[in-house]
Amino acid sequence: MEAILHNLGLGLEVALTPNNIMWVFIGGLLGTIIGMLPGLGPATGVAVLIPITYGMNPATALITMSAVYYGAMFGGSRASIMINTPGDASAIVSCFDGYPMAKKGKAGSALAISAIASFVGGMIGMVCLVFFTEPVAAMALKFGPAEKFSLMLFALTATITLSEGSILKGFIAMGIGFMLATIGIDGQSGAIRFTMGIDDLQDGIDFLVVMIGLYAVTEVFKNFSAMDVKYDIDAKSIGRVWVSWPDFKKSIGPMLRGSPLGFLIGVLPGAGGTIATFLSYAVEKSVTKKPAEFGKGAIQGLAGPEAANNACSCGALVPLLTLGIPGSGTAAVMLGALMMLGVRPGPILFEQHPEIAWGVIASMLVGNIMLLMINLPLAVPLVRLLKIPQRIMLPLILGMGYMGTYFLNYASFDFILVSLAALAGYMLVKLSIPIPPMVLALILGGMTEQSFRNSLTIANGSLSIFWEQPISLAFLVLAAISLVYALNKQKKLMKMPSTPEEEAD
Amino acid sequence: MIGKWRVLSGLIATAMVAATAAPALAEDWKPQRPIEIIAPAGPGGGWDLIARTMQKALTEEKLVDKPIIVTNKPGGGGATGWNYLKGKSGQGEFLAANSPLILQNNLLGKSDLTYKNFFMLANLMAEWEVVAVKADSPWKTGKEFFEAMKKDPSSMHIGVGPALGNDDHIQFLTLTKAFGADPKAVKFVVYPNTAAEQIPALLGGHIQAITISLAETLEQVKAGKLRILGVSSPERVSELPNVPTWKEQGVDFVFPHWRGVMAAPGLSPAQQKFWTETIDKMVKSKTWKDSLETLGWDDYYTPSTDYVTFLDKQDTLMRESLTDVGLIK
Repeated sequence: MEAILHNLGLGLEVALTPNNIMWVFIGGLLGTIIGMLPGLGPATGVAVLIPITYGMNPATALITMSAVYYGAMFGGSRASIMINTPGDASAIVSCFDGYPMAKKGKAGSALAISAIASFVGGMIGMVCLVFFTEPVAAMALKFGPAEKFSLMLFALTATITLSEGSILKGFIAMGIGFMLATIGIDGQSGAIRFTMGIDDLQDGIDFLVVMIGLYAVTEVFKNFSAMDVKYDIDAKSIGRVWVSWPDFKKSIGPMLRGSPLGFLIGVLPGAGGTIATFLSYAVEKSVTKKPAEFGKGAIQGLAGPEAANNACSCGALVPLLTLGIPGSGTAAVMLGALMMLGVRPGPILFEQHPEIAWGVIASMLVGNIMLLMINLPLAVPLVRLLKIPQRIMLPLILGMGYMGTYFLNYASFDFILVSLAALAGYMLVKLSIPIPPMVLALILGGMTEQSFRNSLTIANGSLSIFWEQPISLAFLVLAAISLVYALNKQKKLMKMPSTPEEEAD
Repeated sequence: MIGKWRVLSGLIATAMVAATAAPALAEDWKPQRPIEIIAPAGPGGGWDLIARTMQKALTEEKLVDKPIIVTNKPGGGGATGWNYLKGKSGQGEFLAANSPLILQNNLLGKSDLTYKNFFMLANLMAEWEVVAVKADSPWKTGKEFFEAMKKDPSSMHIGVGPALGNDDHIQFLTLTKAFGADPKAVKFVVYPNTAAEQIPALLGGHIQAITISLAETLEQVKAGKLRILGVSSPERVSELPNVPTWKEQGVDFVFPHWRGVMAAPGLSPAQQKFWTETIDKMVKSKTWKDSLETLGWDDYYTPSTDYVTFLDKQDTLMRESLTDVGLIK
């Protein structure tokens, strides 16, 4: 404990040199901008930066890359809120209520609360990191394939229960997502599954491409018919980037719940921001007294997941701190760059180069504050985007969506995929089949399948492993509860006469 | 006026044709345009590192007088980038990084491409494979471990990633056979995120051993968390002087996890000569040697003809192991 505080002090000394502060600022700003562009996530941002870091000392290089990573996470939700286009998987949830808020003319509040919640999540996450690294690291090691499978099952059922309308449709959506996830080469058997002889499908379907299609391009389709409709937005309120006190009060609970949740999920190997944000949204929707507001611009639905996402990235540092193992794809890119600089990441990194390791942690603390300062003023020009007429905005979204798609894999085949996803998205909206369960199943499908198979391999074929392990059993029970709760809710809804809220959106 | 311009532009055109044609007539060939080194994966991985290290060495040692760019073309386990190279037939300005995956993708039926489709320029570096267990586990040598496995294969679970049929997997299959156990009975647990999942799973006691490349475990071994049972190098590696090779343990098995470079098919003898000579100079340069040192890679330079012989041998070994366990039907 004392050792940790001592090390943190050492880290702050490194992070607070003027040179490093400058790079945190540049990296953070660059990351925010990269994160705002659809399809460009933190990993690309860090990769672009690698050549710039060649001349730097390792600590500054890593600090700069972390700042880009952090900035991209702040920026990712900007695009979700403004144009319904998530920059990466962990920003999907920010679309659910962020975009409706923007449409209602509350873009300023949405952007502000997302920056504030990200900040709060990041700070709470850092505190957890400093104080609870040891116990949670031990817990994370207990997390085997059975536990992982049950956790994902719980995340999926929780997401189904979130969806508007019938639970059956939620399951249909999940089924479609799972089916799409099986396309490609199977790592275990080497079998090529459902590619229909198309080589481009061998690597599977990139969920980011599907996401851009389902959200951004579908949004363009939806609005096309009403292109000349003027939204009833108060021009004065648009420019204001601040949260009203009642809105802020509503957000405190979600932020305080989302942060520890995100941190814990982040610690688990390979779980990540997607599960953290979806679960936090599920928690908020079941806690609230007015679940009907969710999906129509409830500020709680934005604040919780945003906090969870940033706390999760702090949690992901735990395996890095204790085992020297990168918790995310972006961290892996950073480690590749570090190797070029001659620094080998691992558990001894903290003994051999404490100034690098703790410098980065401390710089994240500094970066968090700085990103809040960057993002609040940056929101002012951003909200003005809403004043752009639809007939200009829609083609712009379309162009950005397709550009972002190409940047993901540099594959022209993805243009076909994104168009198909957009058509499918339009149909799903018309059939009122919820999209979130489908996206989540597509993202988690491969992992769910593999952890199921790994569990069975370890248990020598016995299914009992799922309920004999206490943590796994706990998740299964939670999954069952969430399902029963949702069925119950649906029954009540069926009995009630339909309210105006039920109108199709 | 117009007439004059026409004559002039005609002259320029003739001069340009002459300029481009001249080197082709001569014995020697030199790159005519910027050189492109293809890393058939995203930034940060092994292929990317080797492409960028080549770029650095070739440029800083002034071995080529045209600029070099590295392009990342991920997809299909290398197939996307390699297909792109295949399309540049006869053009000497295109190189691509490769690895055993070029054999394995073909063996497993994932891709039609083989090493025979390209001009295999040189094998460049190697990392070594290991089998690692938890530091407090009862097994100290390969023999002890595989004896335990023979007794009760269902109690031993082996972590491998990202997919079966790769070098890590083939190492373990070959060892199992060599130590007299049944490769078909091995229980492999597949981790798509490789070391990031394998090491916590091993430390958490969910699996009993991992088969993986040395570099991924080195820091854990130094920290006293893992023990390595054996390494696939011909001699002990300098970082771990106490760890015996498989050879020392009585198994004739040297297995590099190599990376090399290849050029487009259909190159003229002059183009082939230029690149074999240039790469030969590159691997002997200080910049190259220093870079290998910082990256912790072993020099495994094998020039073109020997490289092809080596690949033929590897192909046979892998085909055998993968047929044994039914991955090749």
